Amino acid sequence: MSEPFEPKIVAFVCTYCTYAGADLAGTSRMKYAPNVRIVRLPCTGRISPMFILKALQKGADGVLVSGCHPGDCHFAQGNYHARRRWTVFRALLAFTGIPEERVKFSWVSAAEGAKFTELINGITDSIRALGPFEQYQELQKVIETQSTY
Amino acid sequence: MGLQEQYRKEAAELLSSGEVKLVIGYGEGTTADRRRPVFVRSAELVSRLVLDASGVANLSAYLVPEGLLSDGKKVAVFLKPDGVRSINILAAEAQLDPGQVVILGFDIEGGQPTPLPGRKASDYAPLIESLKGSGLSPELQAEADRLEQMGAAERFEYWKEQFSKCIKCYACRQVCPMCYCRRCIVDVNQPQWINTSSHTLGNFEWNIIRAFHLAGRCVACGGCDRSCPVNIPLRLINHRMAKEALDTFGHYAGESADQKPVLATFRQDDPETFIL
Ligand code: SF4
Ligand code: SF4
Repeated sequence: MSEPFEPKIVAFVCTYCTYAGADLAGTSRMKYAPNVRIVRLPCTGRISPMFILKALQKGADGVLVSGCHPGDCHFAQGNYHARRRWTVFRALLAFTGIPEERVKFSWVSAAEGAKFTELINGITDSIRALGPFEQYQELQKVIETQSTY
Repeated sequence: MGLQEQYRKEAAELLSSGEVKLVIGYGEGTTADRRRPVFVRSAELVSRLVLDASGVANLSAYLVPEGLLSDGKKVAVFLKPDGVRSINILAAEAQLDPGQVVILGFDIEGGQPTPLPGRKASDYAPLIESLKGSGLSPELQAEADRLEQMGAAERFEYWKEQFSKCIKCYACRQVCPMCYCRRCIVDVNQPQWINTSSHTLGNFEWNIIRAFHLAGRCVACGGCDRSCPVNIPLRLINHRMAKEALDTFGHYAGESADQKPVLATFRQDDPETFIL
């Protein structure tokens, strides 16, 4: 019998809020799904859409991008800039057929360990239900199996 | 006197008076209905300038990459309203000084070039305002509607098929007035973000990022779409981005030389319905 599907989820988070929130979840001994790989960045303003594409390229089934609530950015404006960028990038992903259920955005503060836990568990469940992102991963497999490139 | 004659005369005057150092216009191409850019530096050569309904390319693309304007002198250039919008964008992004660009304005109506009187980009503000939100051709709009109605998986297949044709020639980038970066993200190899070989995944990534970098900047001149050797409908994807910028942020690219680039600014109350 084959193993049940466990999604790989990559979370790009800012160090000042969401990463601290994840830390709080850890130090408070809250449990969240081990499916998430956290990548810590200085600010949501530093999270380029290239990162999201790279995560998908490397086989992620879902991506989360998360940072400080509006008004709380350590650099004052990074998350406002990021929010505009995500709005446009989301529309682009949707238009090219990358399902919006697979790329999620959130604000999690340093005090929201519980929110972080719920968020990760919720996303993991929904992506587990969707199954692997085969349509995209197929493209990578084609490269690996065809030496003609 | 036809418009071509009128503009040849004006070009000759601009050159002989020394007001401009160069006139960029359209010249004879390899076939009767193709035009190639010509760069005229002396009044005796203005007869090389051709102006007819085949003059569709957005010539503003020649102003920035080679540093043409770096000596502070003026250049005259044949531009349609989309070209004027690119001048505004390039000015807003600090790539050029709009005071150095003398516009020989025209548009094409009913298969004929018609004159536009503005010589400065700022003269075009009312015209650009009236064009705000103008859409796709009916056929392309029908195609866009068809895509919007598909489910994500079907849409993915559509673009997969389109992008699988891409040969990574980068003609779409070279022709675009707004693609002036010295080092394009696709050429960056440390780290290498985008697969450079032209397989479907790399093509997907390239086309997504190209469209994203032109979001709120594309003026729908159609240059990329026309130059794509494998006919990928790049206009559809550009238009989707322009629509997002307009509907969500009220941003119409190239309205004025001091318009803030849409993704380099924000409002505290920007919508965020999608954020968990
Ligand atoms: S993306 Fe294409 S249509 Fe838009 S400005 Fe550039 S060349 Fe013109
Ligand atoms: S012009 Fe067409 S084939 Fe060439 S890189 Fe652009 S999309 Fe690909």
